[in-house]
Amino acid sequence: MNLSNASASLNAILPLVVVILWACALLLVDLFITKERKGLTALLAAIGMLASLIITLARLDLEAVVFNGMVTVDGFSNFLTVLFLGSGIVAVALSYDYLKRMGLEKGEYYVLLLFTVSGMMLMAVASDLIVVFLALELLSIPLYVLAGIATPRLDSEESSLKYFLLGSFSTGIVVYGIALVFGATGTTSLAGIVDAITAGSAGMGLLVAGAAMLLIGLGFKVALVPFHMWTPDVYQGAPSSVTAFMAIGAKAAGFAAILRIFIQAFPALSVDLTPVLWVLAALTMILGNVVAIAQRNIKRLLAYSSIANAGYILLALVPYGQSDVAADSVASALFYLLAYAFTSFTAWSVVIALEQVEGKGLELEDYAGLSRRYPILALTMTVAMLSFTGVPPTLGFLGKFYVFRTLLEGGFPGLAVIGVVTSLISAYYYLRVVVYMYMREGEPQAIRDPWLYIAATASAICLVVLGIFSQPLFAWASQAMLH
Amino acid sequence: MTPVQILFILVAAVTLGAALMVVNARNLVHAALWLIVSFGGVAVFYAMLNAGFLAVAQVVIYIGAIAILMIFAIMMTRNVAGDSSPRFNSSQIIGLVLALALFAGLVWMTLSWSGATTTPMPLDSRADPISQLGSALVSPDGYVLAFELASILLLGALVGALMIAWDRK
Amino acid sequence: MIPLSWYLIFAAALFSIGLFAVLARRNAIVILMGIELMLNAVNINLVAFWRYVNPELIAGQVFAVMVFAVAAAEVAVALAIFISIYRRRRSVSADEIDLMKW
Repeated sequence: MNLSNASASLNAILPLVVVILWACALLLVDLFITKERKGLTALLAAIGMLASLIITLARLDLEAVVFNGMVTVDGFSNFLTVLFLGSGIVAVALSYDYLKRMGLEKGEYYVLLLFTVSGMMLMAVASDLIVVFLALELLSIPLYVLAGIATPRLDSEESSLKYFLLGSFSTGIVVYGIALVFGATGTTSLAGIVDAITAGSAGMGLLVAGAAMLLIGLGFKVALVPFHMWTPDVYQGAPSSVTAFMAIGAKAAGFAAILRIFIQAFPALSVDLTPVLWVLAALTMILGNVVAIAQRNIKRLLAYSSIANAGYILLALVPYGQSDVAADSVASALFYLLAYAFTSFTAWSVVIALEQVEGKGLELEDYAGLSRRYPILALTMTVAMLSFTGVPPTLGFLGKFYVFRTLLEGGFPGLAVIGVVTSLISAYYYLRVVVYMYMREGEPQAIRDPWLYIAATASAICLVVLGIFSQPLFAWASQAMLH
Repeated sequence: MTPVQILFILVAAVTLGAALMVVNARNLVHAALWLIVSFGGVAVFYAMLNAGFLAVAQVVIYIGAIAILMIFAIMMTRNVAGDSSPRFNSSQIIGLVLALALFAGLVWMTLSWSGATTTPMPLDSRADPISQLGSALVSPDGYVLAFELASILLLGALVGALMIAWDRK
Repeated sequence: MIPLSWYLIFAAALFSIGLFAVLARRNAIVILMGIELMLNAVNINLVAFWRYVNPELIAGQVFAVMVFAVAAAEVAVALAIFISIYRRRRSVSADEIDLMKW
């Protein structure tokens, strides 16, 4: 490869390069921004991601395999890149006023946010296990720090410590799995792994063990049961703007890795892995939804909800080994991730609007009477809860619909039934929030920050409008094939 | 048994023994010192595997930087003397069972893998692994992307660590 | 010569010891040491596979170098978190820190 090829490679990952360079530049620029004007840093960070988003959208049909096969730009990665950049921009909108109110304004916050977004974007294009590993760390390490940004609040520091210990533990498991896969096939590139399997030169026992450890390690990242125990504490303790981003971005990035690795490299292992995925998905849906019923704190409730949702996304992956269903698997998982992202952002922006200093305003009782004093917030929260439950015509309903359809195509009606039943169970705790907001008397306190309101109402409107006109969106997700 | 094999068993025994002492130590400074022994044993294995650069890097990075940083942390958190609280948490039995099960599973898998009995191919005497590694790390044909990403990662970690630990009053 | 399985079993043992430290110890610093032992086990695997399975392809060594870099980054962040917690808590015990219930 010569230098002109190198610049073609860089051109293929231009959105990623823009975000990384922008983060480095912002680190320097931030030094000259006075403490009172950190809003400027937030704005600059958002502009950087917007620029990257525009570049991505301008060449959505770009497909390229560059850097010696370590990076693959395709429909799948473009879809996820848009999702990550969109989440990053919304996260800045949610953070700005929240940080100011909580007295946490630091310019580095936005720099680290850009770093973690770049890690997620890298995960979307990674097609070599070395890059997967680096992407995982690039997205995790800034998040460990962001979770602890509310120091000296103890629960935030504790959340940071727990997230760090569990996160690097799971990285250790992932990288051991990668080492075993490398040993079994002699290569770390996903295409090379497929070649080794078809040529019959791979050590299958070693490969299955490696794939299982990859699944366990990534299962920690996306909070599948039984690897979920860190989630409620970390989600509750971290500042809400960080939690919102963690619940969406980190989970989507974890699933990006799982989808790409398993569908692209390991379809030959589906005989061994499908039963495991079946059990993991069932456990995750059941435990996430049942334990959520007992939660009175809204952040913990949403944490268990995010666990349950990881189970629904995993459903799409269960039939991944059947080559005629694999395309639908990817499409429905991506569509569900998108629906989940919109729904979560709607819910979290309402949570952020109600949160007071010292962690007050987070109990269910604090939502009583919200419909009278803040009808818009109550309405957006209701839309989010309906979408989480899966009530038509919201995006959440369609997400579940496509996932269940994929399951039935793959021949797993039993698991689909478990999915439907747990969705019905989830209606109890989601709708309880609505009951509190509309039927109970109370004196809720919320702030009136324009950016937050724009983010909340815009994503709530998207939930309904995109839910009604979902065809183009699903068509886009269906085109997002892996290559 | 050849001398090399005896050397392997000795180093493995010392390394694993030191690792067990890390897990078992009550005094954190002792744990850190045992950790250094364990890291040193791993460095010997790198040398035995013809990965000279990694052996040196292991000593410089793991012993010289990571273990020393940990000792700093132990000193700064002054948790060394008189820590009478229990060492293990309530789930130690589960932890032990999981660790033993994992070990048994990995050993069984290794022994049932036909490739595990291979002996190493002779290295090409003209090829120098160190220069191979060096050019792989910076060539666009090789792993320059991974190399650059690692530096971004270190920058991110640096900024993050400063942000958390710096007490701005 | 030493068969590959010796290295793999050694790495498995080191990994399991590290795993036990993470699962069973209470002190966060020892848990971090356990994680470092796990990463060392990974590196032994990577280098042994490089040497025995595919010595022409330098990927195994490159990967090991990346693991070094990541381990250093993790430790740096970890120590910052420990010190920041200790400043207020006078303790870095991982399960003593449970203001937040299940």
